[in-house]
Amino acid sequence: MCAGKIPPNMESEQGMEPLTPLWGKRSTLRLPFIVMMDIIRSRNLLRLLVKRDLSARYRRAYLGYAWAVLEPLLLAIVYTFIFTILVGSTDPLYPVKIITGIIGWTLFARSLTSSAKSLSSSINLFQFARVPKTVFATSGVLTNAVLAIISLTCLIPFFFIHDLPITLNLILVPFWLIVLSFTGWGIGLMLAPISCKVPDVLNLVNFLIRAGFFLSPVMWTYDMFDNRFGEGWHAIVAHLNPSVVPITGMRDAILGTSSAIPNYGYLMCFGIALLSYFFGAIIFERNAHRAVVNV
Amino acid sequence: MTVVMHLEDITLSYPIDRRYRKENIQPSGVRNISLKVEQSEVLGIIGRNGSGKSTLLKMMAGVFPPDSGNISTRGSVSLLAGVGVGFNKELTGRENAYLYGALMGRTKTQIDDLIEEIQDFAEISHHFDRPMRTYSSGMKARLGISVATAFKPDLLLIDEVLGVGDASFRKKSEERVKDLIASSGSVVMVSHSMGLLAKICTRIIVLDDGRIKFQGEPKKAIEYYNKLLS
Repeated sequence: MCAGKIPPNMESEQGMEPLTPLWGKRSTLRLPFIVMMDIIRSRNLLRLLVKRDLSARYRRAYLGYAWAVLEPLLLAIVYTFIFTILVGSTDPLYPVKIITGIIGWTLFARSLTSSAKSLSSSINLFQFARVPKTVFATSGVLTNAVLAIISLTCLIPFFFIHDLPITLNLILVPFWLIVLSFTGWGIGLMLAPISCKVPDVLNLVNFLIRAGFFLSPVMWTYDMFDNRFGEGWHAIVAHLNPSVVPITGMRDAILGTSSAIPNYGYLMCFGIALLSYFFGAIIFERNAHRAVVNV
Repeated sequence: MTVVMHLEDITLSYPIDRRYRKENIQPSGVRNISLKVEQSEVLGIIGRNGSGKSTLLKMMAGVFPPDSGNISTRGSVSLLAGVGVGFNKELTGRENAYLYGALMGRTKTQIDDLIEEIQDFAEISHHFDRPMRTYSSGMKARLGISVATAFKPDLLLIDEVLGVGDASFRKKSEERVKDLIASSGSVVMVSHSMGLLAKICTRIIVLDDGRIKFQGEPKKAIEYYNKLLS
């Protein structure tokens, strides 16, 4: 109902929408769909939040968005230096692999942390009106996805330097980026309510992300791992890391190679993504509203 | 009269920090509140600091779910939870107005139509396009009232914002609240300025220690409250 359009004292009890409970019962299995619908319905708000986050991030920096391109580039220089000078690698494509790894991993890590922190960081925004709280987790993830795509432009020169193939396979790069941020979002949703009650969760997440940088194919590649350990339980454990397959997929798409990712690797990657969304939505919607009292 | 919001026996107690859990203190919050907010009424809430006024408003706005009891509502509810609360300091007044509109579920074009009115009412001239961190608290209150009333929610909850501005703005906002009532909205306001409440409220409830101690005519409620204080 929209007040203001109806002249006063004209409406009758029957003509008005009924009193609806603020916290009605919702079945657990429907929650993932409710979350999806909430997000689609608040796309207008989402767009504004993403725009705001983006402009706030580099607002005071002279170089502005160039930092999104510079960060992975500078990191790549450091790692290439370490690997070529100290380890003695001779792979000319190593910088490209590193940059891809950094962009993919950063997106995953930032998506996870920003959605895990979303409840405490946006507490003042859901005081105005009743807004689905998942929107704030989502806006952080979308902002980082946009930044990752901006970062990707630093790879363009390498296509000319190394004469890399420009094929339809490149569509897979954004696809894998979506998989990475989607998984990070889901895991973050699971952690957001508990992190309000127990802030230590965020410290643990920070640690895991630092460790995960080395446990994910950022500085190393899937082939290096495959050559060393091959089949067996090592490989299964490695695929439990949801960033392994997407980052490798991005690299393959950019370099025009194909890594020997087994079918169960893809299955685990998509399985973890969907499960974390499913449980993330349920855990978030069941607990987030009460958890905000702690903030 | 049409009921806009119905609270049935709601209770919420804040968690006690684990460091103090052994001291056996009573948790703060609100207890067993039942209340009906009717259409076109201005309901005042008064009470001492920490008596649960703001908590009650937050639950009415749907920010917190109650531990027990039911809240049902019809139409849109908006909360102005204090001077500058909810606004982003780095964004300009205009950007904050757009953000507020989007939080209220309005589209960009709907906000475009209202933005001029918001700017005119707030009367903060060129500051409208400056970041909020440069605002004085009076300017923040002006923007807050201007934005919150412009979107015409069915129920507007105001927490201690009206008393801040200067005399001319106070008068303007009183009129704005009356306009909202005239266009079939309702207002619930928390304030410590009894003069203002006596002037615009149709009913006042007195909260103490999370419970409703009195509800009724503004004059009698304020009398009761003054006795409670002394």
